[in-house]
Amino acid sequence: MTSRRHFLAGLAAASMTPLGGWAAVGAPDYLAAALFPDGSYRLAGLSAEGDILFTLPLPARGHAAAAHPQRAQAVAFARRPGTFALVIDCATGAQTARLDAPEDRHFYGHGVFSADGATLYTTENDYEAGQGVIGVWNTGDYARLGEFPSGGIGPHDMRLMPDGQTLVVANGGIETHPETGRTKLNLPVMRPNLTYLDHSGAVIEQMELPRALHRNSIRHLAVRPDGLVAFALQWQGDKTRHPPLLGLHRPGTAPRLLTAPEREQSTLQGYAGSIAFASDGKTVAITCPRGNALHQFDVETGNLTAAYSLTDVCGIGSAEQGFVFTTGTGAVGEITEGAHIMARAKCHWDNHLIPIRTLA
Amino acid sequence: MRPLFLALALALPLPATAQDSAAILTDVVEAHVLPGYARLSETTATLAATAQAGCDPASPDLRAAFHGAFDDWILVSHLRFGPSERDDRAFALAFWPDTKGFTPKALSGLISTSDPVVESPKAFAETSIAGRGFFALEMMLFDPAFADQGQAPYRCALIRAITTDIDRNAKAIAEDWQPFAEHVTHSGGNSPYRSENEALQELYKALSTGLQFTSETRLGRPLGTFDRPRPKRAEARRSARSLRHVELSLITLRDLAMRLSADHPAIAADMDGAFDNAIARAQALNDPAFAGVANPLGRLRIEALQQSINDIRQIAANDLGPTLGISAGFNALDGD
Repeated sequence: MTSRRHFLAGLAAASMTPLGGWAAVGAPDYLAAALFPDGSYRLAGLSAEGDILFTLPLPARGHAAAAHPQRAQAVAFARRPGTFALVIDCATGAQTARLDAPEDRHFYGHGVFSADGATLYTTENDYEAGQGVIGVWNTGDYARLGEFPSGGIGPHDMRLMPDGQTLVVANGGIETHPETGRTKLNLPVMRPNLTYLDHSGAVIEQMELPRALHRNSIRHLAVRPDGLVAFALQWQGDKTRHPPLLGLHRPGTAPRLLTAPEREQSTLQGYAGSIAFASDGKTVAITCPRGNALHQFDVETGNLTAAYSLTDVCGIGSAEQGFVFTTGTGAVGEITEGAHIMARAKCHWDNHLIPIRTLA
Repeated sequence: MRPLFLALALALPLPATAQDSAAILTDVVEAHVLPGYARLSETTATLAATAQAGCDPASPDLRAAFHGAFDDWILVSHLRFGPSERDDRAFALAFWPDTKGFTPKALSGLISTSDPVVESPKAFAETSIAGRGFFALEMMLFDPAFADQGQAPYRCALIRAITTDIDRNAKAIAEDWQPFAEHVTHSGGNSPYRSENEALQELYKALSTGLQFTSETRLGRPLGTFDRPRPKRAEARRSARSLRHVELSLITLRDLAMRLSADHPAIAADMDGAFDNAIARAQALNDPAFAGVANPLGRLRIEALQQSINDIRQIAANDLGPTLGISAGFNALDGD
């Protein structure tokens, strides 16, 4: 699959970044899971131009992935309530390890490596207790080291803060149990939060939205290099209301909620799927697959600066300039001055697009 | 401001065959939704009045009024949009599942302090939704643990407060449906639905999530796993209504499905047959509180009932939805 052009582009990219492990496979810039026409679920490595550099099979539908900070290694997570995560050597295409959730736990689909790459953290459901936990794994042999509470119910996305020490977890607040599928069990009493934890699991800070927004599930995260956290929301309340679906939080301060004007906001069906900062950090964007829209905001003013109509758009990541996005219809595109499609694959790109290095 | 991306900005798919969406919307609202909520507010009024007349938990009159109103709630409980979601009315009518045991905690909290909040309907409406509605009332009428908690006069006042609150919520939903009906039948303008297709999607979603809830939650929760069945998680098991809820929900969901598929006789016939099968299985089960999940034979029959509901879900998702012109993308459908 890897063409000479991509290989050279990969080499060029690799020469600019000290990530030797990734260079060998043509230095993919992004990872994304997808459903392919033959019915297989696969993890794909993508170039910055949106071309598929490699694909690797997954046993079932994937969700997100985490890229190791140094090794050419990725962990692909099963879609909730899956119980597997695969460690994949992206240089050889081989599965090198498999993580199985312990008894009475399942994965939520997201995870993050520690700064030194020695530890992997995974968001999990302790479903008998109805509480979120963070699983801790040794990345040498991918043995489970332990777990600690996530600080809420339904932890979903999780990121490492720029200090390399603090984990930030989006506790979506929604209780589910594998015996009742994806049925939401606690909507009237849900209380999502953003929890900052240290490596031992000690809670450093928790942020909750105002009471009137307790049905706004905090699900996905992006972190700017200066520590500003952006979160994407999924509204579980009265659908005749159209609350904000994007928030910004700096530890120790109150959150800021960003919204499009009502006319635009009301088309989003209360659902944001992914979030990213542009590489310059000045803009932040959410994808809204139910409203078929990508909304871009100015971080400073909080104003909507662009709204693109894109069918089933969901994956988004920062690019050298602006953003790269993926859609459930197989498109990979970029947002710079405007939006344009760079590549189309015969697959359904799944929820998330994972940048494997910080493009500065 | 909005650079339209024409290459990708696909219009919503058109229905595969001709259908009169306006007629379907009017029919569902006028023959399914409005009469359902009107019936509910009549039987909740009877329930509240009966509790005023006599609040003995064992009173046959009170229990009959409880069953009658609860039946009518189940018959509309899939219509979870618009007026039912305002001020959390639907959740205040039926807080279930209660995975953390909030309902007994809320009730015990009120009883142990003889909280005077029960004297004022307005104040009671501000208390935890877990301590209100049909499931709180069921606990007060049927759970031995609450038969002698606190003092009898307070328990009586609490039962009356719960029934009054149920009636207030049912009335508020029914009243709000009068103006809201127009929003569903006349999309655009002030309506939250921008098109007939969006309004139709809402009704289709009521069908599909109603089926999902009955299969995954009403049956899935007590089923648990083979090694760990959960009979005590059956819905309304104290009043032995678990199976009845499944049956009533299937009957009302069939009514909705038939109206939605009015212009597509082949699909309507398939759905009708699948509903027949599921309802017949429910009626033959003779296991009102799903105690049978814990023994192999009983379990098999409840699993077969669940499968027959999943068969209906398949037809709804594969045939009815696309034919109505309702389709959602790979990510839009995922919800994560």
